[in-house]
Amino acid sequence: MHWAELIAELVLMPLVAFIVGLFMVLMMRKIAAKLQRRVGPPVLQPLYDIVKLFGKKTQTSHGLLHDFGIVMAVGGYVAAETLLPVPGMNGIAEKGGMITLLYLTMIPSLGLALGVGQCANPNGSIGISRALTAMLAYDIPFVIVIAGVAMHFGTTNLVDVVAQQQAGGFESWGAVQMPLLALAGLFALQGMLGKQPFEIYVAPAEIATGPMVEMGGKFLGGLFVMQCFQLYTASVLYVTLFLGGGENWITFLAKSFAVLVVPMSLAFLFPRYRTEDMLAMLWKWPVILGLIGLVFVTN
Amino acid sequence: MSDLDLLLSVAAIAIVLNGLLAGQQLGRWVLTALYALQFALLFSIAPGTDGAQSAVAFHLLDNPVGWQLSAFGWFFAMITIGIAGFCAAYAAGEWGATNAGSGLSMRWLYAGLQINVTAMLLLLSAGDLISLFIGWELTSWAGLILMLLGGGQALLAARRYIIYAIAGGMAIFAGLVMTAGATGSLQYAEVAAAIASVSTGTLWAITLLFVVGFAVKMAILPFHLWQPPAYAFSPGPASAFLGAISARMGLFAIGLVVLKLIGLDGFASLSLWRDVINLRDILLWAAAFTAILPTYVAMRQNDARLLLSWHGVGQGGYMLLGLMITDSLGSAGGLLHVFNYATYQAILLMAVFAVIHRTGTADLNRLGGLVARMPLTFLAMLIGIIGLAGLPPMNGFVSKWMVYRSLVTEGMPLLFVASVISTLGTVLSVYKLLHNTFLGQLRLEHEYVKEAPWSMTVPMMLLCTVVFVTGVMPGLVLGYIADAQAAIGLTPVAFVLGGIESKAGSLDMIWITGVLFAGFGIGAILFYLMGGRTKRVHQLDNYAGGHFLTADVRYQYSDNFYAGLMHRIRPWYRGTFEWAESALVSAVGAASSAARGFFEQANPALWVLVGTTLIVTWVMWHALG
Repeated sequence: MHWAELIAELVLMPLVAFIVGLFMVLMMRKIAAKLQRRVGPPVLQPLYDIVKLFGKKTQTSHGLLHDFGIVMAVGGYVAAETLLPVPGMNGIAEKGGMITLLYLTMIPSLGLALGVGQCANPNGSIGISRALTAMLAYDIPFVIVIAGVAMHFGTTNLVDVVAQQQAGGFESWGAVQMPLLALAGLFALQGMLGKQPFEIYVAPAEIATGPMVEMGGKFLGGLFVMQCFQLYTASVLYVTLFLGGGENWITFLAKSFAVLVVPMSLAFLFPRYRTEDMLAMLWKWPVILGLIGLVFVTN
Repeated sequence: MSDLDLLLSVAAIAIVLNGLLAGQQLGRWVLTALYALQFALLFSIAPGTDGAQSAVAFHLLDNPVGWQLSAFGWFFAMITIGIAGFCAAYAAGEWGATNAGSGLSMRWLYAGLQINVTAMLLLLSAGDLISLFIGWELTSWAGLILMLLGGGQALLAARRYIIYAIAGGMAIFAGLVMTAGATGSLQYAEVAAAIASVSTGTLWAITLLFVVGFAVKMAILPFHLWQPPAYAFSPGPASAFLGAISARMGLFAIGLVVLKLIGLDGFASLSLWRDVINLRDILLWAAAFTAILPTYVAMRQNDARLLLSWHGVGQGGYMLLGLMITDSLGSAGGLLHVFNYATYQAILLMAVFAVIHRTGTADLNRLGGLVARMPLTFLAMLIGIIGLAGLPPMNGFVSKWMVYRSLVTEGMPLLFVASVISTLGTVLSVYKLLHNTFLGQLRLEHEYVKEAPWSMTVPMMLLCTVVFVTGVMPGLVLGYIADAQAAIGLTPVAFVLGGIESKAGSLDMIWITGVLFAGFGIGAILFYLMGGRTKRVHQLDNYAGGHFLTADVRYQYSDNFYAGLMHRIRPWYRGTFEWAESALVSAVGAASSAARGFFEQANPALWVLVGTTLIVTWVMWHALG
């Protein structure tokens, strides 16, 4: 590949991810509005929010690490997007693979944890302790899923995973071949996105008791950007592993948005679980589903 | 005199010099330079040539004894001397002066360090099983010197250590005797050639004796309880050295005996119940549990030194796990992890001891907010924990990735999941370490704490550079590993400078790091160039829950940091560890009362009858079957 083409891809992939992510946030709000019989926000509301947060007059920083936490949170995802193949663009996906991507997406969480830590607010620290516990909760079923998928396709290379599914058609899709793992993955996705009943660590409804407690202005704006990336990364990864990736942008985007509809709709049906109940839930059902699915893959 | 003899002689003479010179600061810097000399001498040895063969050789009970450095031993020797050099530099300046002032013998500390290095070099260059055993015993006793220097709690830990070490040494000696009996030799090549004709039962016994003996040093479950306190409570640089490399001598010996002498075929033949489960599976799972359980014990520690030492046990599990996959990628990952772990564990312990040097405590509930006071030490610990947690772009990620990918593609998904569970626990645990030391609320008594002196920060920063550079370009180390693999009969790993290129999944850290830093750059542009100006508030200007708090009110969140998680898994600690320990005690009790009953019983004839009947049944079963 020509180097100019590669550079273009490396620039375009995060940019596309951000724009698609903005629409995903919009969709999330629209679904909530529909379920709660409200009108919901206008199309550009997510963008307005980011502009508003960045433009705020009061921007309180608790130190260099507080700033750098936000830089890591956004930057980690910008890097992760170049490892996630999309139609027509593979970026550097062949140089990493799914395990690397899994670990690269922990960098933003670490950044957030560092930033919150320097704020010296005990409520923030409690939020991070919950967030990391939540990560332990949803990542265990998720790595079972990753292991199953990697074994099924015989590779950890995401480009290869997509190619195999597209060559074999619908029957070879991960979700058709490994329905149990696909279900376990969906379960883990709910936790990964921090949607109800697993949203205690974000605690968006009572900002003073979560990791966001000291995050105002562009600090919160940066985390908003991170959320756009997070929604995009989680759904596109799911599409890549289970739904055959994207043959073209239309089917790709349709699948990516469709994947998110499930957790977003379910979210409003549930109350909030406590951290320990979240652990119990995510260590039980998706793990059982995943392990049974793994047995089918290995045999 | 060969190159190896020169190195060993310098190392031996250095012990005396250490005892003479370590009292003065200038002397300690000279001794640091002496490690650089040993490092250079090691690099002048090309394993496999005459230079790596010692001219010293003698016979012991008709067995030839000699020394020869293979590429496998060379790799461990490189880490040993390197880490010892950094530890010596760390203690040379203010740390040494201050601690000598408070009664710690610098002569013993430095001499002890060099005795350890020399003993390890003798072990690593062992040319046969007798010299291996000599080196092993010297290494075990040398470790004791450093542990005893800690005083107080360290003495108890050291006593426990030496009991374990003697027991392990006994097992190894028994294995040695059995090997000599079964193969008629103690030379590597002759043993390896004769091992194929040894009966399976004998092979089981030999392998188990060696593996158990070496696993004690390696602190593989269930022989791990001695290690965390023994390593944690030694004086700073000694703790860093012991924690970083000492236990890995066990891995070296396991690799040598299991893979080189018994060989992959012999090893694979050791199976229970047909081929359902074999010794390799048992070792793999022991390694996986060693990676998981100590990690979650580490999470509960409130002493930073103990927390790290428990992780040391857990990381050893990774190395054994990788090595025992025995394919080229996984075993390379396990060996690479030895190097990577040594570098970041040394950094972490050095950072913790720098904090102790300035604040006088490693109690995670009595620290906090030091990031603005000791920024370099913070940076060192940050890089160290990213390495220990195995996140990109530090070197810990690369070795763990190799183990993961190998487990997935070799068809061991459950072990892969187990190893990731360990990593996730590590992430939680090391964040607690960093948070409770450097983040959160600054204590008033630490308001005027200064950064650690340059003599301590410079070695940390240099090691951080190693952690980062070998993380971005793992190919720099993988070359030595490929040679080491070849030396013990494994397929050498195929690598490129940035990592691994393979159809089953590649890793190119140069690209990954490149995009990561580019991403940070974009994040920084967004954050710093866009939007309103940030206003920096003072570290002590804070509030919680809408109330302004003055700095003399304690509100740091540190104790029981993962309350939700502990609520869920605390019963498991009780259910597993304590249950297993009490089960073991009662099993031993039951066995001893049964034995006692056997000797004291009134009617031995009945037992003789039962025994005879069983034997006759067994014989008939086999005769008929």
